[in-house]
Amino acid sequence: MGIFNKLLTAVRGGATEVGEAIVDSQAIRILEQEIRDSKKALHDAKTGLTSIMAEKMGVDRKVKDLGEKIKEHEGYAIQAMDKGDENLALEIANKIAEFEHELSIQQGIRDGYDTKVVSLKKMIRQSERNIQAMDREVSVVKTTAKVQKANDLASAKFSGSNSSLNSATDSLERIKARQQKREDQAAAAMELHADENGDDLQAKLKNAGIVDSGSSGSSILDRLKKQKEQS
Amino acid sequence: MSTEKLEQLMKGLTDNQTSHGVSLSVEMFDADDKVACIKLEDREEFPIYMTADEGQILCISYLFGDEQVDPDKRAAMVEAMLMMNVSIPLSAFSKIGDQYIMFGALSPKASIDELLHEIELLSDNVLEAIEAVSDYLKEAA
Repeated sequence: MGIFNKLLTAVRGGATEVGEAIVDSQAIRILEQEIRDSKKALHDAKTGLTSIMAEKMGVDRKVKDLGEKIKEHEGYAIQAMDKGDENLALEIANKIAEFEHELSIQQGIRDGYDTKVVSLKKMIRQSERNIQAMDREVSVVKTTAKVQKANDLASAKFSGSNSSLNSATDSLERIKARQQKREDQAAAAMELHADENGDDLQAKLKNAGIVDSGSSGSSILDRLKKQKEQS
Repeated sequence: MSTEKLEQLMKGLTDNQTSHGVSLSVEMFDADDKVACIKLEDREEFPIYMTADEGQILCISYLFGDEQVDPDKRAAMVEAMLMMNVSIPLSAFSKIGDQYIMFGALSPKASIDELLHEIELLSDNVLEAIEAVSDYLKEAA
């Protein structure tokens, strides 16, 4: 069964039971057993990989040795031919043929090990990922029960009401109301700040004689007179 | 899995929040299962739970339980959530047990800035999401 299917089985099992029961759910126990099995399989695979790599090193050495022997004997054969000793050259050539035969066998074994190493490494990576995914799943599900309790407590604290009556939409409304209040407060504070600054400026302007310190009856009368003259 | 990594992230969040312009409280929620609880100011009802392992940093917020969903509209809500999933930036819907959740995951190599961004966005997304699916939920008692 693929990892996604296992997880799905686990979460389905968890979902059929409510609240705290999730933690005791049979599916989670199965998943935990699965994790233990996978960890053991992973350990075995790693041990297997180590011994295969050691064996492969032995074969690598044999392949190298045979290669060197072939080169060496090729040299001998050429020397024998140079000396005109055809019989000896043939004997050496036969030996080379034996070496080459052995080399092809050892190379075949080495290729087999190579494939095995690659597939074992792939398997190990895969099981490591699977174990991580299952570990995560178990811890997420286990945490959920605790989180639910904490969430109920938290919303009870913020709403001051019974936790069972709390809904997500109520919480959202409360948050929005708080945000609105905060924005209103900020806006009010800004306004107040602006007012204060404005008052300050007016006072300074008056002190400096740039702005009238207030309209008086006489100043208004003057203004009206000027208006009348102009008309 | 290391508690160290989680503690390091928690410290990073606490130290860097002001430079990021958010206000949040970070505390260890469950030392056994290595879960941190992050609460954004004014949004304490929807805390974000964070775990970290070598595979990923996971941030989860719990939306509501099955009992809050209008049974007749459940299938439609689930479909709506599935369809919304792609368009929601950095977060996705899911379900743990009988709880609908929203989560975001980051690489364990993510920076604190990226994590703060993720947390802020997840919190925004949670509020938006509840608003969006509120029609499928039972009328508030």
